[in-house]
Amino acid sequence: MTTKLRFDPVLLLAVPAAIYMVIVFAIPVLWLVARGFMDADGFTLSNYIKFLSEPFNWVVIGNTLRVAFWTTVVCLALGYPTAVALARSKGAVQVAMLIAIILPLSVGVVVKTFAWQIVLRRDGIVAALLVATGVWDEPKLLLFTEHGLVMGAANVFLPFMILPIYSVLKLADPNLQDAAATLGAPPVFRFFNVALPLAMPGIIGGVSIVFSLATSMYVIPSLLIGDRFQTLATLTGRAFLLMRNEALGATTATILLFLAVAIVACSALLSRGKGDSR
Amino acid sequence: MAGNEGFLDVGGAEKSFAGHRVLNGVDIKIARGEFVSLLGPSGCGKTTLLRIVSGLMSPDQGRVTLDGKDITNTPPHLRDVGVVFQNYALFPHLSVAENVRFGLRARKVPKDQHQATIDKFLGLVHMSAFADRPVRGLSGGQQQRVAVARALAVAPKLMLLDEPFSALDRKLRENMQIELKGLLRSLGITTVLVTHDQEEALVMSDRVAVMSRGTIEQFAAPSDVYLKPKTGFVLEFVGHSTRIAGTAGPAEGDILAVDTAFGRIFVQAGYTRGSAVTLAVRPERIALGAPPVKDAVNYIDAEVKEIIFQGSRIHVLLAGPNGASAMVETSALPPGLAIGTQTTLWWRLEDTLIYPAEAQAA
Repeated sequence: MTTKLRFDPVLLLAVPAAIYMVIVFAIPVLWLVARGFMDADGFTLSNYIKFLSEPFNWVVIGNTLRVAFWTTVVCLALGYPTAVALARSKGAVQVAMLIAIILPLSVGVVVKTFAWQIVLRRDGIVAALLVATGVWDEPKLLLFTEHGLVMGAANVFLPFMILPIYSVLKLADPNLQDAAATLGAPPVFRFFNVALPLAMPGIIGGVSIVFSLATSMYVIPSLLIGDRFQTLATLTGRAFLLMRNEALGATTATILLFLAVAIVACSALLSRGKGDSR
Repeated sequence: MAGNEGFLDVGGAEKSFAGHRVLNGVDIKIARGEFVSLLGPSGCGKTTLLRIVSGLMSPDQGRVTLDGKDITNTPPHLRDVGVVFQNYALFPHLSVAENVRFGLRARKVPKDQHQATIDKFLGLVHMSAFADRPVRGLSGGQQQRVAVARALAVAPKLMLLDEPFSALDRKLRENMQIELKGLLRSLGITTVLVTHDQEEALVMSDRVAVMSRGTIEQFAAPSDVYLKPKTGFVLEFVGHSTRIAGTAGPAEGDILAVDTAFGRIFVQAGYTRGSAVTLAVRPERIALGAPPVKDAVNYIDAEVKEIIFQGSRIHVLLAGPNGASAMVETSALPPGLAIGTQTTLWWRLEDTLIYPAEAQAA
């Protein structure tokens, strides 16, 4: 079967944005990637070989993925039930919930992160709560720890988990749960065989957005954990801003880009699998 | 359906939503193997009753018994009650065969029996060729077949159909009604159909429960519901009728004379003299022309206002004095009958129905 691609003039509407993206995004990114494969003599893999043979850099990659993973897990654990509640709610309650989810997005990340610095202090509310509930014997500093970083990052990225799941659940037929029940499916069976598969495109969307945001976050780790803990993003920043090492910065940025693209590609593949009716 | 009258037994079912009483103490007993329709306009409580029987909703008051077991507080997945939903509610992420398999998996039917069961029920609804297709691309009729196969595959004791034909076009709907009725009868499955379509209820059911405002107005065989409507509401909701307002006059034996705009009309009934009544006659029970006998018949004169040709039948609308009107259904017009001509109408005494006038407002 051959389908002829006919030119649709409506596509011209995307041209200004396309030109803009090429100039401010595609060309700089290509330059950056190319920079990582170059030295004074031209093309080389030495930047990568040097980077990957340094054990400290594997710690950095590990830090990046581990923090992103836990941030995603926390967002999913909090976001999925919220999305279900949001999809079920009606009228004013739903509007109020949507505002509560979307409004924090208008508060800058820097502001939010400074707020978290206060919350995560030794005398902050989280430490006080953990002591009061008996989880901790004495107040400890959460600021400058990975736990604190994950807490802060999950707070910032939570809406990006809730909204894609909500948008999928909103369209799901509520009769499907009832149909499953009348077919003899107990609640747990219904969850794993109806609710979860139907929410999957939203979950995949939310997970890939939050994970790629969390791998590339820069401000949040800078403020919540500091220089002792490096991720690919903070290392990229240091390389360009402090060390003036363009080759290193280009290398870490490219690895980060590769991770992000891999995540998006994987999730696209996964959701296509879901879309094929099975 | 000998004996076992209360295979499904709903007693005193009440349900309110936000202070609004939707079910008003409904009692209904359905025999094993019977096909019953709940017929009524939207908001009459028929869907609420169906959801209470399926367990998807619990009644405020009353109880539900199925096959001798009280299931009032049993959750839906333990009830053995199959439902075909109005929009079919097929699982969009599963193929046709996997939709049918869902109930088998949910009920932990041994895996080696799955394929045979799926084949059997997809075969019964003529969907075997579609087993591996996604449900997305199926037409409305095909989706309904799959929904029926899926509900039947778990061998429910009771089958509930919630307006299952409303999304189908007329021709397909009629075919599916006959086919589904035949299938369910051959399997001997007790079935309750919820519908607002009187024709559908009359065609498919052994008995029809006509509902209005949260109560059952009449529960009887389709012919009784049509020919002997118990209340003015049933008369009005099921089928057409000529309705004539009148006042109860003198009675002679069990024959009551009623004074109307058309003159005196006789009916077998006992009403207090002077009370306002409504007389009704089904249009196909009325004949055009002079009556062959003058005994045990009513006859009136009226002017032909409109002749509506509907293919196999013809509706004639007539007008009498003081705005009174009548409707006749016939298969052939008598010669000479045209708009504007005067004619005589007649019908047998026993075809005259009578209701208190205020019930007519329903």
